[in-house]
Amino acid sequence: MGALDGLMQGFQVAFSLQGIMFVLIGVVTGTLIGMMPGLGPISAIAIMIPVTYGMDPSTALVMMAGVYYGAVFGGSTSSILLNAPGISGTVATAFDGYPMAQRGEAGKALAIAAISSFTGGTVSVVLLMLFAPALAQVAVSFGPPQYFALMFLGLTAISSLSEGSTIKALISATLGFIAATIGMDAQTGTTRFTFGTPNLIEGIDFLVIALGLFAIAEVCFLIINRKDKSLSKQSDIGNLKLSKEDLKEMKGPMTRQSFLGFILGVLPGAGATIASFIGYITEKRIAKKPEEFGKGSVRGVAAPETANNAATSGAFVPLLSLGIPGSGTTAVMLGAFLVLGIQPGPLLVQDRPEVFWGIIASMYIGNVFLLILNLPLIPYIAKILKISRPMLISLVIIFSLIGVYSISFSTFDLYLLLIFGVIGYLMRLFSFPAAPFILAFILGGMMEQALRQALTASGGNLAILVSDPISISLLIVSALSFVVPLIRIRKKDVTQD
Amino acid sequence: MPPKWRFRKADPSLANSKSFMKVMHVLKTMNQKISVFLILFGIGYLYLSYNLKEYPYVPVDSDLVPKALGYLLVGLAVLLFFDKSSETEEQKKKRSVPKKELMVILAVGGMIFLYIFLFEIVGFLIATALFIFFCSWFLGYNRWVSNLLVSLIFPSVLYYLFNYLLQIRLPQGILPF
Repeated sequence: MGALDGLMQGFQVAFSLQGIMFVLIGVVTGTLIGMMPGLGPISAIAIMIPVTYGMDPSTALVMMAGVYYGAVFGGSTSSILLNAPGISGTVATAFDGYPMAQRGEAGKALAIAAISSFTGGTVSVVLLMLFAPALAQVAVSFGPPQYFALMFLGLTAISSLSEGSTIKALISATLGFIAATIGMDAQTGTTRFTFGTPNLIEGIDFLVIALGLFAIAEVCFLIINRKDKSLSKQSDIGNLKLSKEDLKEMKGPMTRQSFLGFILGVLPGAGATIASFIGYITEKRIAKKPEEFGKGSVRGVAAPETANNAATSGAFVPLLSLGIPGSGTTAVMLGAFLVLGIQPGPLLVQDRPEVFWGIIASMYIGNVFLLILNLPLIPYIAKILKISRPMLISLVIIFSLIGVYSISFSTFDLYLLLIFGVIGYLMRLFSFPAAPFILAFILGGMMEQALRQALTASGGNLAILVSDPISISLLIVSALSFVVPLIRIRKKDVTQD
Repeated sequence: MPPKWRFRKADPSLANSKSFMKVMHVLKTMNQKISVFLILFGIGYLYLSYNLKEYPYVPVDSDLVPKALGYLLVGLAVLLFFDKSSETEEQKKKRSVPKKELMVILAVGGMIFLYIFLFEIVGFLIATALFIFFCSWFLGYNRWVSNLLVSLIFPSVLYYLFNYLLQIRLPQGILPF
C-alpha cells in the first residue's frame, strides 16, 4: 500500500466525527495541562492513559497524539508571559518571548509562538510521513561517539549566548556542567557531591534550575520595580496581528527550523529541548542583526517554537517505525500503545495501517486545531499580565513552587529552588548570563555519559571520537561555529577602519 | 514584618544615588572579588573530586569529568581576575539596588522559606492561602476583598485540579480533605 492510500485511510479514521472530537479533546486537554506548572507532555500523556481504557485503539492514539503536541504548545505560554518555563523544551522561548511581553507585545509573542508551532508541526508531519522508515535506520546508527559530537556542537553555542563577556558566559556554563555532575554516576554507581543526603542521589531536577534561575530570579527584579510606573506598559497585551515585516522575519527561521528540529527530534535522546536550543542558536548565528536576540526578537521566538514542535513529530519516527522510544515522553507514549494492545515497530504499518496512518493524519488535523483554538484564546491567556504586580509576584512564586513539588514531591527540592533563585539573582546582578548555565546543565550530563561510554568501548582510545563520518562532520561544524563568528567580527572591524 | 509605609516614604532617587556611589567605589575590584570566590569554589570542588571513589579496570572513571571541570573553572576564574573589559553603564546600574528593596526581597525570601517549612505540616491549602494573602499585602496590594478572594479561590481550584482531576497529591496537612 502506498503512502497516499495509507494517508487516505488515515484521514478516514481521523476525519470521522469521533476522530475529530477526540483530536479536539486531546489538543485542548494537552494545552491546558501543558500550561500547568511543572506538567509537560510526559505527565499529560500519563494522566490521559487511564481515560483511554476501553476505547478503540486508533481513536485513543489519535487523541494521545493531540495531547502530546497540545502540551508542548501549552508550555510556551508561561515561558513568554512569566519567564517561567514549565518544561525544558520551552526554555529557549523565554529568551526572546519574555522581553517581547515586557515591551507590551505579549499578544504578538504568543501569536508568533502559535504560528511557528503550527508550521513546525505541519512541516515535520509531512517529513515524518515521507522519511520515517529511512530516518529510523540512521538514528539507530547513532552511538556514543556521535552523541558526544552532537552535544559538543550544542555546547559550542555558549559563546553566542553570552551578552558581553565571553569569560563570564564560559564560567556560567562550567558551573552549569558542575551542577549536572551532582548525583549518582550512571556508569559506576559512585555518588558524587551528594554530601551524604539521599535527596541528591538522583541529581538536581532540571525544573528546579530552570524555575530558580529564570522565574524566581525574575521575581526579585519584579519586586524591585513593582512600583515603577514606566513598566506599566508591560501589562499591555498589544496587538495580536502580525505585520508583513514580522511574517517575513518569521519565514526564514520557520522553514529552516522545521527541518532541523525534525531531524534532531528523530535522534533518540536529543528531542525538543536540544532542538529548541540549537534552533535558537543557529538563527542567532546566521541573523543579520544578532544583537536583537535576547531583547525580544521575532526570530528568537519563532525559531525555538518551530523547532520544538518539529522535534515532537520527529520523536515519533523511531517510535512508530522501530518501536524504540527516543525520549521520556515517547516512552510513556509507548506505554499508551501497549496498554491498548498495539506493538509499534516495523510491522505496525502492515499489521495496523489504520493506527499508523490515523496518527499521522491526526497530526495534521491536530495542528490546525491548535492554531484555530489558540489564536482567539491569546487575549484571554495574556490577561495574566493585567494582574496587579504584587499579586502577580505571589502567584508566580506559588506557580514555581508547585511546579517543582508536583514532580518531586519533596520539600528538599523546594529549598533547592530557593537557593537557585538566589544564585540566579546574583548571576544577573553581576552580569553572568543564565542561559549558558542551563544549556550546559542539560547537555553536560548527556555529554559526559556519551564520552565515557565511547571511551569505555574503545578502552580509553580517543580515536573513537573521530572514527566515522557523522561524528567528524559534527565536530567540524562545531569548530566552524566557533571560528566563523570570529572571522565575521574581524571583517566588520576591517570595513569599519 | 516591617509596616509597608516605611519603605514607601523613602526617596528612591536618594537611595539610588547613595548606593550607586558605593558600587562605583567597589567596582574596580568587583570582577576580582568574584574571581577569588570562584577559585575557592573550584578548589573545594576539585578537593571533593579527588576524593571520589575509584574503581580498578574502569578506563574512564567517574572522577574524570569533575576534575576537568574543576580545573576549567579555576582557569576561567583566573582569566576573569585579569579581565580588563569594563561593564556597560546599564550593567553597573542594574547592581545599584537600594538597601530597603534588598530588605523587601529578603523578607519575601523569608516568607517563601516559611511557606516551604509549613507546606507539608499544615498542608497545601492553608499554607498557600496564607502566603498569597500576606505576600501580596506586604508588597503593597491593598484591595482587601479581592486579595482575600484570590488567596482563597486560587489555591482551592489548584488543589482540586491536582488532587482530584490530575491525581497528583498535594499535601493535605491538617485539613480533612
